[in-house]
Amino acid sequence: MKTTMGHTVSVHAASHGNGKGTAAHIGKVVKNRYVLYFVSIVSLLVIWHFSAVIGESSKYMPTPAMVLTELWRIAHENLAGKNLLGHLWSSMHRVLIGFAIGSLVGVPLGLFMALNRYLNALVKPIFDLFKPMPPISWISLAILWFGIGEESKVFIIAIGAFVPALINSYNGIRLVDPALYDAIRMLGANRWQTMIEVTFPAGFPALFAGLQIALSVAWSCVLAAELVSARSGMGFLIILGMTMSNPAMILSGMVVIAITAYLITVVLSNVEKWVCPWKVELPQ
Amino acid sequence: MTDQTTKIECQNLSKIFKQRSGKVQIPVLESISLSVVENEFLVIVGPGQCGKTTLLRIIAGLETPTTGKVFLDGKEVTGPGPDRGMVFQKYTLFPWKTVMGNVEMGLKIGGMSKRQRREVASHYINLVGLQGFEKAYPHQLSGGMKQRVGIARAYANNPKVLLLDEPFGQLDAQTRYLMEQETARIWSVEKKTVIFVTNSIEEAVYLADRIVTLEGKLPGRLKSTYVVNLPRPREHIDKEFLEMRHTITKETELLL
Amino acid sequence: MNSETKLKDPLSLKIAPWVSVIGFFVVWQLLIDTEIVPRILLASPVEVGKLLIDKLTNPDPDGAVLMTHTIISLIEALLGYILALITGIPLGLLMGWFVVAEGLARPPFEMIRPIPPVAWIPLAIFWFGIGITGKVFIIWACAVVPCVINAYTGVRMANPTLIQMARTYGASDWQIFTKICIPSALPMVFGGLQIALALAWTTLVAAELIAADAGLGYLITMGRRLLRPDMIVLGMIMVGLTGWFIGNIIDRIERRLTAGLERGGAAT
Repeated sequence: MKTTMGHTVSVHAASHGNGKGTAAHIGKVVKNRYVLYFVSIVSLLVIWHFSAVIGESSKYMPTPAMVLTELWRIAHENLAGKNLLGHLWSSMHRVLIGFAIGSLVGVPLGLFMALNRYLNALVKPIFDLFKPMPPISWISLAILWFGIGEESKVFIIAIGAFVPALINSYNGIRLVDPALYDAIRMLGANRWQTMIEVTFPAGFPALFAGLQIALSVAWSCVLAAELVSARSGMGFLIILGMTMSNPAMILSGMVVIAITAYLITVVLSNVEKWVCPWKVELPQ
Repeated sequence: MTDQTTKIECQNLSKIFKQRSGKVQIPVLESISLSVVENEFLVIVGPGQCGKTTLLRIIAGLETPTTGKVFLDGKEVTGPGPDRGMVFQKYTLFPWKTVMGNVEMGLKIGGMSKRQRREVASHYINLVGLQGFEKAYPHQLSGGMKQRVGIARAYANNPKVLLLDEPFGQLDAQTRYLMEQETARIWSVEKKTVIFVTNSIEEAVYLADRIVTLEGKLPGRLKSTYVVNLPRPREHIDKEFLEMRHTITKETELLL
Repeated sequence: MNSETKLKDPLSLKIAPWVSVIGFFVVWQLLIDTEIVPRILLASPVEVGKLLIDKLTNPDPDGAVLMTHTIISLIEALLGYILALITGIPLGLLMGWFVVAEGLARPPFEMIRPIPPVAWIPLAIFWFGIGITGKVFIIWACAVVPCVINAYTGVRMANPTLIQMARTYGASDWQIFTKICIPSALPMVFGGLQIALALAWTTLVAAELIAADAGLGYLITMGRRLLRPDMIVLGMIMVGLTGWFIGNIIDRIERRLTAGLERGGAAT
């Protein structure tokens, strides 16, 4: 499911080394990737800027500079009692609790379902019943049950994290290469040793991938829950920007949200390299 | 070279695979009786899909025969166990373990202390020529090196019998020759009872004390037995070697 | 051929799923009937069933019958989704093959990529209001990302030997692109369609929960406002069912289209 785009520079260059196609006559400089990136970013900013200053459009579209200024402002001023970092922390706090609950329930349940077919036969149908419902669709029930406080948001996040945590740990264990079981049994392992030495380590990368997905789903869920009802958090911040008709505030909130999501991905993929050093990179 | 204690005894083995519904039944092996004596290097030769891997897996205890029994040192084999070491065609190393971790796995399962099993494992890593690669993970190794780990892993557990299932089938020709030499060398250093399955007659003549061939179609039956008395180390181009190879090839009609 | 002689599942294992699902609904019903769970917090399956039949014809109290809500949601989701396909897939394909396309399109794309889909909602509502335009924009923004990524990756994974073979026959860059890269990318592209659809549907529900005047998400929100748990549950069930249903349709189309492709051998 996870695809990466950042590792193909040399392959691409090679496949175009002796090409004589469309782009060849434009010249080597233009074909340099970094020149193109630079051109792209500069022209994006210029187009953005001018589209924002023409006529009435600044009411809807702030210039890049305005977004930066707004970012600086909300980083220092308090909105609803908290500055930017405070709101970011509110969201992260909810994510961490919800993620912890969701994965602490989802991972063991997925493992047990993979190891015991009776448990699987009992739990899987009910899980499949609930799986197609987007986690956010629980928000109304959550508010009825827990009120508009922290609990309802944590509940949504926990549900969002629970699903991928369960699915991946379940599949991770079930899809272990059966030949590995042959190998460990030939070395004399009993059931328990087989589980410790093969089942868990072999299933671990999938399980970890599930946690990665769970965390990014959790980050989406917290925003959605905060958009529906909250008095703090990044979702609250951008919906506040909407009600205050302040597009710069919406956009600067989105910038912070995007950076956070990006950092979560980067940190987790580094953690993955550290905890699963044997995991082979996908070819190409 | 070999004293005549029987190590492995197969009595009238047959195996029928059933498809899920039980409607289709495929007879894979039929009335196989075979014995292997201590420290003998037995090679089973047959073309693809003739049941030779199934035979080896039955001896390993990974399959149960439909009829017949396997005995190891007079005791019936009922399941896989550390008294037989297996080397797999697809390497089947534990990807999350280093070379050292793979080789010492059997000892760890046997409950040997960490210091001791490191020592034993190091010995076998050296024996297969992988010193310096103890900390490498399998995905960092070439096919030949992976199979060296597989051999070391099986050896380190000190099994009574070593079972090799087309261990070099996935290697290129050069590496294959090299690995055959290595196998002969390792076996000459530490004698074991070996059952080696291959589809290459040349490989069989190079390695075997005795060769048995299987029929080229299902169900697999024993066809003939050849005793190879050539002196070791053998050369692929010796006259006797080529004669032997020629005889077996002529009588075997390896169907592909 | 797998060596496992497949054991027949014992009878208890076959009936366990049914026991489980029926048990689930019975317990749910009993929890409500015995007032262990108060009626203001949750509706029983029977009540939800009654409401389902009622809402087929009765537009009260939320202003529209069930089919209208479902169809509005579907139209919004599919419009945004189709827009994402016809912009995202060509863009991704071009980015995968042409250096200039990639160089120019990559930076803006990488900027919007990490934005969680729901974070577009306030901006879309601010720009386009709570009507269909805003929804279509949101769906487009979230569904376009997997479309681009998968089309791009699909082209990058095209067999280099095929490409070199075409070069030795003197094919132009454009010919290679259309004759080799695009067919090779199709299975990947379909993978992207699946991801995009699931994402589009979830995001749409979120958007309707936040601001809408019709649609299934709106039904759920109205259920909360009117303190009608039966409406909430009905809305959730419809969301789940519809999402599952369109997912199946895409799956079937994909299987039909790529089956022929694999027989042709272009995919591998």
